[in-house]
Amino acid sequence: MPEGIFKIYYLSEVAVTVEFGQRIAPNLLNAVNSLNVLLYGQPFPGFNTTVPAYSTLTVFYDPVLVIKSGLPGADCFEKVSGYLNNLNLQKKTAKPATEDIVTIPVCYGGDFGPDLAEVAGLHQISIKEVIKLHSAVVYKVYMIGFVPGFAYLGGMDERLSTPRKVTPRKSVPAGAVGVAGLQTGVYPLETPGGWQIIGQTPVKLFDLNRKEPSLLKPGDTVIFKAIDIKEFNKLATG
Amino acid sequence: MSTIQDMGRYQYLSQAVPISGAMDRLSARIANKALSNGDNAAVIEFTYADAEFIAETDLLISYAGDGVILTSGEHQLPAGRPLFILSGAIIKLTNTPSGSRTYLAVAGGWDVPEILGSKSTYLAAGFGGLDGRALKRADILKSEQRLTESTKKILKSLRGDKVNYPGWSIAVQSFLPVDRKTIRVVRGNEFDWFDARSISVFLSTSYIVGRQSNRMGYHLEGAMIARTKKNELLSSAVMPGTIQVTGSGSMVLLMADCQTTGGYPRIVQVAAVDMPLCAQLKPGDSIFFKEISQREAEMLYIEREQELQQLTIAVQSKFL
Repeated sequence: MPEGIFKIYYLSEVAVTVEFGQRIAPNLLNAVNSLNVLLYGQPFPGFNTTVPAYSTLTVFYDPVLVIKSGLPGADCFEKVSGYLNNLNLQKKTAKPATEDIVTIPVCYGGDFGPDLAEVAGLHQISIKEVIKLHSAVVYKVYMIGFVPGFAYLGGMDERLSTPRKVTPRKSVPAGAVGVAGLQTGVYPLETPGGWQIIGQTPVKLFDLNRKEPSLLKPGDTVIFKAIDIKEFNKLATG
Repeated sequence: MSTIQDMGRYQYLSQAVPISGAMDRLSARIANKALSNGDNAAVIEFTYADAEFIAETDLLISYAGDGVILTSGEHQLPAGRPLFILSGAIIKLTNTPSGSRTYLAVAGGWDVPEILGSKSTYLAAGFGGLDGRALKRADILKSEQRLTESTKKILKSLRGDKVNYPGWSIAVQSFLPVDRKTIRVVRGNEFDWFDARSISVFLSTSYIVGRQSNRMGYHLEGAMIARTKKNELLSSAVMPGTIQVTGSGSMVLLMADCQTTGGYPRIVQVAAVDMPLCAQLKPGDSIFFKEISQREAEMLYIEREQELQQLTIAVQSKFL
């Protein structure tokens, strides 16, 4: 799909998806975020909520309100698509979405990172080198999905690309930091999981007591900072 | 299993918090409408429950759905009506073979805290409903007592010294197609990623609801679906009703607690008006799929909403 062109497709009676492309790229992430900000600034009658993903923005609405609205179109799909098409034309004038830089402290290895040695062994590098490679780069949040607060991060050093575990663990603790293929991420909740666990953060990725429960949002920059167990315990109790 | 649910949690989908809410939204709404509650009042969702309740006060309740019959002493309590129950009454639930989910509403709605804009229980993350969990023995639930004017009239008209209910009832069935085994579907965005023969088999043979089925989704057992387009799909939004085809060619129908995003190609989307039928399916049930157009699905949706709107007014007019 050429730059700037997008398509809109039907997801259900209550949602359409705007697709800006079919790859993972910063400019597509920006396109998704800009349209999202514009839409929240200028919602149409019946607008409900959105789900941003790598290269798509899905827009949820109430068909009963959309059909009654004065938007042009023979059905809700046409009405909402038309509105989103027009809105997208204003994208150049849109205020950029807020993008924060979030540092996530990680205690690598030991009981917190049961697979760290295996990952080092697979790549024939030292444990120290794995920690250095993982914490030396900056990551971009591309989307939140899978479970509440789980961020899909881009930017991992290719030298850490590691296959998933042959047998997934029945339970991975909240805060576990894993790698799988070219991806890295933090488990927000205790769930079953197949990623190689190299460390754990005391920071809550999803916390109902925060105004925005998810620590991360699309567009944010993430830095992993290596900490020792003493620091971990201090942060976990503080 | 019994959990508290409402019409779902939409405002945090972008943070990957699932929609949740009643699996059978139609029955849950009818249980509420019979009491002139708002549609979003919290209800109890029973999945094949053999539960028992003791009324600690006089109560105005109603239930709807498929799978359970309520009795109180020798009274079989009819579904789809406001039911006035005396303090001390023991209400028993008995399974019926026809469906799997039933909804119990109380005048004013069940009182649980709103979490992220909804009272629905989301078990996987342990929040919503009653302490983020399924109901268990000795739990005490009470009404929020937010009675609408119309609910107050119903209560006034039925209140007395014995079990009481009106002569009319709202039948969930009257909103649903007669053929409950054919599920209408609309083409998904990746519909043409699959080979034509697989598609024709999909739309003409039966599929069985697998044992591994829960509030997150149902495994559909039957003919495998072959792909012609083998592209990797970037994860994007999915929702209840989405049917995904996994790497092995088997299908999963996503339900109320499904993830917000998915990376498997989406062959079809179940028409929203037929999701209540899906919610009542049990492992082992067999179903067929029938394709309808996007426009038709939308029209059916709006018609259903109009009928439900009329129902609200009809109930109010019974107790003027």
